[in-house]
Amino acid sequence: MPIVLIPPPYRGPTGGQERIEVAANTVRACIEAVEAAHPGFLPQVFAADGEPHKFVKLFVNGDQSPPEAEVAEGDEVEVLAAIAGG
Amino acid sequence: MFDDRLIRVDMTNLTATAEPYPEAWKLLGGRALSARILLEECDPQCDPLGPDNILVMAPGVMSGTAAPTSGRISIGGKSPLTGGIKEANAGGNPGQDLMKLGYRAVVVKGQPADANKRYALEVRKDSLEVVEADDTKGMWNYALIEHLATKYAETASFISIGPAGEMKLSGASVACTDADQARRPARHAARGGLGAVMGSKGLKFVMIDPEKTPVRRPDDAKPFFAHTKAYTKGFQDSPKANMFKFGTSSIVPVANMLNTFPYKNRTEGQSPDVATLEGARIVESFETRGGGMHNCMTGCVVQCSNIVHDADGNYKTSALEFETLTLLGANCGIASWEDVADLDRLCDEIGLDTIETGAAIAIFMDSGEMEFGDAEGAKRILHEIAEGTELGKAIGNGAVSIGKRQKHARVPVAKGQALPAWDPRPLKATGVTYCSSPMGGDHTAGLIVNPGMPPEQFAQASQESQLINAACDSSGFCQFLQPTMPEIAEFYSVLYGEAVTREQVADIGWQCLLDEWKFNEGAGFTAADDVLPACITDEGIGPDHSLKFDVAADIVAQAKAERFPEREELWTTKATG
Repeated sequence: MPIVLIPPPYRGPTGGQERIEVAANTVRACIEAVEAAHPGFLPQVFAADGEPHKFVKLFVNGDQSPPEAEVAEGDEVEVLAAIAGG
Repeated sequence: MFDDRLIRVDMTNLTATAEPYPEAWKLLGGRALSARILLEECDPQCDPLGPDNILVMAPGVMSGTAAPTSGRISIGGKSPLTGGIKEANAGGNPGQDLMKLGYRAVVVKGQPADANKRYALEVRKDSLEVVEADDTKGMWNYALIEHLATKYAETASFISIGPAGEMKLSGASVACTDADQARRPARHAARGGLGAVMGSKGLKFVMIDPEKTPVRRPDDAKPFFAHTKAYTKGFQDSPKANMFKFGTSSIVPVANMLNTFPYKNRTEGQSPDVATLEGARIVESFETRGGGMHNCMTGCVVQCSNIVHDADGNYKTSALEFETLTLLGANCGIASWEDVADLDRLCDEIGLDTIETGAAIAIFMDSGEMEFGDAEGAKRILHEIAEGTELGKAIGNGAVSIGKRQKHARVPVAKGQALPAWDPRPLKATGVTYCSSPMGGDHTAGLIVNPGMPPEQFAQASQESQLINAACDSSGFCQFLQPTMPEIAEFYSVLYGEAVTREQVADIGWQCLLDEWKFNEGAGFTAADDVLPACITDEGIGPDHSLKFDVAADIVAQAKAERFPEREELWTTKATG
């Protein structure tokens, strides 16, 4: 199963979990699967129009990827939020 | 390898001399060096504004070299705001210029007999001199630098104070000129009132002229430059580096989402005005008004500093940061980023910390004497600070000062210093830092943006964050480069041509914290001071106002009691603040 890597700022809904295995075949489906188990996670990633917030970028195995990118067994889906100090 | 020296300035006798820099201190710079000097030479019981306090200006170890984003300078002393040790650091070019000349620190002691006199320190390749500067008395920072630019060489940089520092107000900052040709006094070592310490010594400005002195380089320069080139390329090629290309103001929406964009004196964690305060509006203005992103110091590869223009296309201020948009914007109920830009410029002109001043104005508003959202009223208050009115001084002296004047209980501080934007209620591990750090309410001491962190991890995470940030603030690297301790160790190794381990860098960070805690103990601090006020522990924000700072005192104590055993996370933790 793909693994979603949760960035520290977004670990409130996941109760601190850093890596969550999900049964899904696209990046978007991965995020939706995390939301199903941890409500409140998805709105941190996607805006009301269904697109990623402009301060969020998504990576699959280190490569920036769109929400509809396909993922396979063992792939790492990384959510990166532009937040670091101020 | 380096013929380093240390400048001693005696403001009682108005002399400046250089002495050899101790070889044993070669890996100490910035914050760690400042802490060591203050612990060894300054009575922690002294009056922060008296002759016995010591003002330290210490560039980081890597400052003045070609290492990327490495030129920061620490300003240190006993704080008139907290009553404890304080370090605040800034970008700009003074740190690099001092280090190009081999000066590892400027240590200022004493006080002139006549408090009405103003002086300057001139640092040149072959001379050090304290000179009279009465003609600059009362000048605002921008006018001062414009004046000095006509008097000194174009290769010079400046460290200065505005009227707030001259009036010895506890919210006063120390300004450093940036790397732009105009040499604007836009980079501030802002926190803790160190501008007041500089003012108490009658020191209006420091001029550093390195002329055409090249960057510092080791005798065997090849490995150093090869490492610098590879590290810089690695940073620039990382797609993640581009996440921050529009600076800290772009953080606003996500901070708001996480309930750490305080509104109306922290009575809420989110602002309804997020759309008119977020960095995207500033970036949009670049298209029609000019301005844009730039590097605040020579050799910066992060380039997170923005230059903001007014509606007519003229320079207004730099840099308009997340913290300023929060404390002078949302926290005061002010909805327009353009009003915040005006307030930011005024703070830089007068020489004030935007965090402390924003917090103080919000407390004044919360007390009922001014409406939240009154941007023009806030600007009038800043002018009153410059004029030295009774109200101006009460606000210029910071959050606790105006809280006492107004007899208002909701004063969000730690160790007497206003809390920054990062709120300890959703970010409890950061709250542990505010309680346990020698610096008080200061996010740059150890920021942890992880609202889901289990409580049993708070103490170790806070300590590790404090360690890496202390090490970073001693290195000269900017926290926005986000170096790890192994990365700092690699740079030290290629600079000095000898193996410096990550463990040594961690030890420097830990020793810095020990020195600072010891100083504060001598100043009278106890565990009873390691707390946050009732408005943070009892008043909630977020959903159902359920987010409160409810961390037990023993967890706070763990963060400073003893060093946790090293674990792998210590070496991967990035400096951030």
